[in-house]
Amino acid sequence: MESLEQTKIRLIREAIQHNVTGVQGSKAKASAQPTRILPPWLWGSLLVATLAYFFMPSQVVSRGRASSPDAPKVERTASPSPVEDQALKPDIPLSAPQRLNRAVLPLSVKRIVIDPGHGGRQHGAISESGVSEKEITLDIALQLRRLMERTPFKVMLTRQKDQTIPLEERVAFANANNADLFVSIHVNWMKPREVRPLETYHVGPTDDPAAIQLASVENRESGYSLSEYRQLVEKIYIDTRRDESRRLAKSINAELYQSLSQINPELENRGVKMAPFVVLVGTEMPAILVEISCLSNEDDVRLLTNADYREKIAQALLRGIRSYANSLNGSNRKGS
Amino acid sequence: MEETNETLCVGIDLGTSRSSISASNGERHVIDSYVGWPVDMVARKLVKKAVLVGRDALTNRSMLDLRRPLERGVIKEGSEKEEEAVRELLHHLIALIGLKQKSKNRPKVRAVVGVPAEAFRVSKQRLRSAMEGIADSVMLVSEPFAVAYGLEALLHAMIIDIGAGTADFCVMQGRYPTEEDQRTLPNAGDSIDEQLAKLIRERHPEAQFSIHMIREWKEKWSFLGEPKDRVVITVPVKGKATELDITNEMRTACESILPPICETMTDLLTRVEPEYQEKVRNNIIVAGGSSLISGLTDALDKALLELGGGRASVVKDPIFAGSDGGLAVARDASNADWEKLSV
Repeated sequence: MESLEQTKIRLIREAIQHNVTGVQGSKAKASAQPTRILPPWLWGSLLVATLAYFFMPSQVVSRGRASSPDAPKVERTASPSPVEDQALKPDIPLSAPQRLNRAVLPLSVKRIVIDPGHGGRQHGAISESGVSEKEITLDIALQLRRLMERTPFKVMLTRQKDQTIPLEERVAFANANNADLFVSIHVNWMKPREVRPLETYHVGPTDDPAAIQLASVENRESGYSLSEYRQLVEKIYIDTRRDESRRLAKSINAELYQSLSQINPELENRGVKMAPFVVLVGTEMPAILVEISCLSNEDDVRLLTNADYREKIAQALLRGIRSYANSLNGSNRKGS
Repeated sequence: MEETNETLCVGIDLGTSRSSISASNGERHVIDSYVGWPVDMVARKLVKKAVLVGRDALTNRSMLDLRRPLERGVIKEGSEKEEEAVRELLHHLIALIGLKQKSKNRPKVRAVVGVPAEAFRVSKQRLRSAMEGIADSVMLVSEPFAVAYGLEALLHAMIIDIGAGTADFCVMQGRYPTEEDQRTLPNAGDSIDEQLAKLIRERHPEAQFSIHMIREWKEKWSFLGEPKDRVVITVPVKGKATELDITNEMRTACESILPPICETMTDLLTRVEPEYQEKVRNNIIVAGGSSLISGLTDALDKALLELGGGRASVVKDPIFAGSDGGLAVARDASNADWEKLSV
């Protein structure tokens, strides 16, 4: 019969094994399901980087998506040391899911899908004076497209007129067009009516009751069950896309608040939050949803019905996207 | 494990309501799991700190952006602020045992942290990340396992660890508990608070109270079965201090967690090999802050009668049972084991 001390030693070994396996298991699982850990928007880049490491270690690797030969090219030398380190020390416990080192992969932003929330039969929020969310979001999206025409970005809209587009079609549109970024524009409605919040969301689970309520309103036709939610949570966490989405959300939120708070000092910046909106869950690129103002507040409604204010919003959105895109270029330079 | 001056072992029980730490240098501390940042310049000037932790945060809550960053035993989801708050909480705990974060002679910290029995893998990974820079090596173990290990109740025992956020169950069968041996329920101290607040509000709609007051009343007077005394509180009603008898509300709120706990205990017992069931029934160990509810073990014994009888007992030191157990695990793990768990 095993003594107490022997039992303790064995239990500790099992506990250690459990910890090591838990960490390694997620890495192994990630490798077995590459689409979950590395969404398609990264695969092209990963392929280029991998080929460069294995076949051209002393040569240069071009920056840009493999599927985008027209992307601007900057030469940089591949730095193989982190890869070599792992290959030489297979016994080192893996800590997964690893955050992707942005310096390793050459990334750039080219195609951007803008999603004006609601449309057609889906009015979204409606103010007391009858202004609907779908009108505001479309106008801002059209202004943003106009502004982007003068930039190297290629912009696509999920809708260009007042039409009903189901959420899954918006998601499919962004995925099919290999978008690099997805920006969904919405206007909030909440009680008490005095509040005038600015909120920017990226994909992720949340326990914030307000975010849950908002997501449930925006996801009305999603059909997720409770059991699927657990799987969703796991997926979200190992998804590298979440980190990039958060960075994009931060850039856009900062620009919007800086710009709009000058005109609207009462604007309350509620910052960057996570919530499982369908359009953020289903898209395969960094994606955010911004609630630019509140149609429940009549002062906000007055501002939103002013064309100059809407243009300010579009300009701030563009600056946020640009700032994010520049940060990607910056991280590439650091890695070279 | 051979301990040196260069290593310090710690056991940490990060609780939704309270967090405790036990260290191999003999230090043991418990704090309220609250973190708060001054809301503005005025508040900052008044509290004279950039961040407040524990009771300090709770006392000054009106001036703070107050966070209770742990929920159901893991880092609350929803914002980065909660992760930051957990890191502050951990830094504070480590400082309490006398470790300076940037000291030159800082020993290597080997930490065992308890997590709910059925915590998501991803939640564990977030916690592991939060420990970066705080400990050099981290081992996560299920909370009831840590309790069992500390008590050396490793065979034919059931641990029921009832905290604020979760009630964790674990049957010890001489092996590291698998999923089949463990359960986590959300019915614990917090659900009593919610229930109590709801019941008082229903009966005394004009009474004014906060969730913090509810928690204090529960910690003072929670009970199951027959009350030793009437539970009388003083609260403002339309601004006037008024005495209210909440004995019935307190009993009903406490009773609300009993059915799921008894059901889960029974379910786990029926999964134990038949020849050992009686041994386990007579070795039910209750830990966690909510184990202090008066009459709880009697209520569990009553439920065990339906299975042929048994005995539940509360650990001697419910608040530190988890962290002491974690410390015992940390001390017993070998240097080679710890090397595999560096963060």
